[in-house]
Amino acid sequence: MSEYLLQMTGIDKRFGGVHALDHVNFAVRPGKVMCLAGENGCGKSTLVKIISGVYTRDEGEVMFEGQPITHITPAEATRLGIQVIYQDLSIFPNLTVMENLAINSEITANRRIVNRKRWEQTAKEALSKIGYDIDLYAKMGDLSVADKQLVAICRALLFNAKLIIMDEPTTALTKKEVDALFKTVRQLRDSGIAIMFISHKTEEIFEISDDVCIMRNGKNVFSGPTAELTKKDFTYYMTGRELEDDYFVPTNISKEPVLKVDRLTWNGKFRDVSFDLRKGEILGITGLLGSGRTELALALFGLGKINGGTISLNGQPVKITSPIDAQKKRIGYVPEDRLTEGLCLRQPIADNIMLSSLKQLTRVLGTLSHDELFEKSNEWVKKFSIATDDAHKHASTLSGGNQQKIVLSKWLNNDLDVLILNGPTVGVDIGAKQDIHALVHDLANQGLAVIIISDDLAEVVVNCNRVIVMKDGAIVGEMTGDRITEEHILEIIR
Amino acid sequence: MKTKTLQKHSYTLMLLGLMAVVLLFFTVLKGGMLWKGDVWLGIAMQFPEYGVVTLGLMFCFICGKMDMSFMALGDFATIMAVQYMANHADAPAGGVILVGILIALGIAVVGGLINGLLVSELDIPPVMATISMQLVWTGLSVALTSGNTVKGLPALYTEIGHKYLFGFLPVPLLIFLVIFALCWFLLNHTVYGEKLYMVGTNIKAARFSAINTKRMVVGTYILCDVICCIGCLLMVNTMASAKADYGTSYVMRCILILVLAGVLPDGGMGKIGNVLIAIVTIQIIATGVNMFPNLNTYYASLIWGGLLIVVLILSTRVGEGGLFGLKLGGKKQLKA
Repeated sequence: MSEYLLQMTGIDKRFGGVHALDHVNFAVRPGKVMCLAGENGCGKSTLVKIISGVYTRDEGEVMFEGQPITHITPAEATRLGIQVIYQDLSIFPNLTVMENLAINSEITANRRIVNRKRWEQTAKEALSKIGYDIDLYAKMGDLSVADKQLVAICRALLFNAKLIIMDEPTTALTKKEVDALFKTVRQLRDSGIAIMFISHKTEEIFEISDDVCIMRNGKNVFSGPTAELTKKDFTYYMTGRELEDDYFVPTNISKEPVLKVDRLTWNGKFRDVSFDLRKGEILGITGLLGSGRTELALALFGLGKINGGTISLNGQPVKITSPIDAQKKRIGYVPEDRLTEGLCLRQPIADNIMLSSLKQLTRVLGTLSHDELFEKSNEWVKKFSIATDDAHKHASTLSGGNQQKIVLSKWLNNDLDVLILNGPTVGVDIGAKQDIHALVHDLANQGLAVIIISDDLAEVVVNCNRVIVMKDGAIVGEMTGDRITEEHILEIIR
Repeated sequence: MKTKTLQKHSYTLMLLGLMAVVLLFFTVLKGGMLWKGDVWLGIAMQFPEYGVVTLGLMFCFICGKMDMSFMALGDFATIMAVQYMANHADAPAGGVILVGILIALGIAVVGGLINGLLVSELDIPPVMATISMQLVWTGLSVALTSGNTVKGLPALYTEIGHKYLFGFLPVPLLIFLVIFALCWFLLNHTVYGEKLYMVGTNIKAARFSAINTKRMVVGTYILCDVICCIGCLLMVNTMASAKADYGTSYVMRCILILVLAGVLPDGGMGKIGNVLIAIVTIQIIATGVNMFPNLNTYYASLIWGGLLIVVLILSTRVGEGGLFGLKLGGKKQLKA
């Protein structure tokens, strides 16, 4: 019996031309909390999916409890005692807590007739494992994220889990809820279960983990006890950069605000939001998931419902009724979900770039020349060094960073006063991330007013000269210049 | 370079191959019967009516929407038109025919507008909305005609429809070719065509890119139903009458042609050239089947339904990466 519960050596995985995992070594000890850390797009989730059997590895060995495992399927992983709690928690929001807890074991047992008593018993047993108390008949969808998470943990425990993998569990939690979650995690650890905790938040990793494995660009760059690591080393391993980030230095801020938002309210989403934005500024808006940050952006782009308050552009009060209207008023929006909101993946790169500026290409009788479209889009391909040899290829052939450059050029091909970026570097690798940040700095200094909405605090701190913090639909803090630090923002958020 | 061109047109090549296989199949079974002049004249006379209808429906499919009401609407529109023409038999035929056609097209515009509004403004799933409208139009037609055939068409109407231009080009085929050329131009050389493919691929991304997606959807339904209605007017020419259920048997055939051509209702894909090949192939099959005297028309549904299922199954296979090891169309096949 080895000292490790799960040991993976030389794991390699490629997706087409992308080397997602480059001979990664990784091990988890029983009764310990192991943190898997790394920036977006470093291969964390690929690794998790290999452990849980969703993906098949190309190369490498996996040992579980000292036994080599040749082929992992999701069912096999469950049988071994590996449970993954994904960010979306995979729950049934329309069913009750009891039904959510009991349904899996009912299905596994191949039962066809519902016995409420047995369901209740199963559910109670699950909750008792971590001494958690909740109304069994509450609807899952009505619970807070923290409660949903605990129910998901209880459900995992029903399968005699030996290894519980938690994928960024703290993203949508308040400080108090994080503390409660950590208490549970420690309790599980002390009962001998191994926990694999995926995160990119420095503070949390140092607080909870015994071991840490840091990944960058598909390689693991550090693995060992957390105690051996300083916070400075940690940041270095995470980002691969010793140097300080290129902080944004505004050089061209206009006197008059271009956009002024006064007591703007969308019932149930956000209320009484007021701020102004000058040309040449990069304004950060941050807050937890559900704080109203995305809805605020949608409202400014004509996709929200405004119940009160005003928006003014260049001193004139305006109503923005649709994205078409927003475009006319020189506002652009790079959406949060690039794949569903930003791109037509099955269409050529060129057509995607020109999508919001087809007016420029319109000739007599509404005709259009595809050669001209291709030429114009090629200018952007060159300008942003989008990594493709042919813009006739589909947008889906590109990596996240290059796809994001398409969405950016789509909007920059219009004359804009205000550009709103929602999560501009989610799922973008570090190189492209820096490119995009540098690009946004240039744009601002050329006189564009930029809003960056992000929950990546480091991104907000480095790129914004002013930051607004939102919580539960209201602005709870605003800071400028040197006052913008991750610690300061966290303090306000929690 | 050469292989690239081949790859780009691989789906077209496969369709041509399929057409060759079908021709070979009937040639082997029926000998020279297929290769007679009047058989091919028959083919050229028969496909234009539902060919035009298919071209209309194609716009809906590329937009990622479905229309099940097009034939019922077309039948209703032509019933109204024929009834008008029959009631004005004593007026000059030319003017009456023109007004009749305008009535039919006007009804098609209204039908398309209703479909479009139901789908884009009220967010009703397209299949549900248009099946309901199909019942409404058929219901109206049956109520108006008690299910009977409406006759009394001016003789000029069918005369024009049976003329040959330059002595060899049947007028219905000419109309088909003109509409085909217009559709080809619309899809490949206009801003509308460009937007149509993008909206069909991802309507949400198109909306976020400041495209007026509602107007696109409504406009496309209207265009679809108007073109379908032109097809139904050709059908009136063949039958010299209108009836509530003339078009019904063509609904599945049109869908079959589009799916075969790689214009899947998922939206954003397919080329009009492939649709033409598919139309002709399906007509050859229809003509070929008719050469078997003991295969009566009661088998038609079975044959078309079976073919549709086979083609649908194949089209999902293609989507997962190559039929017969070739890099072929289906989900990956896009416009040039």
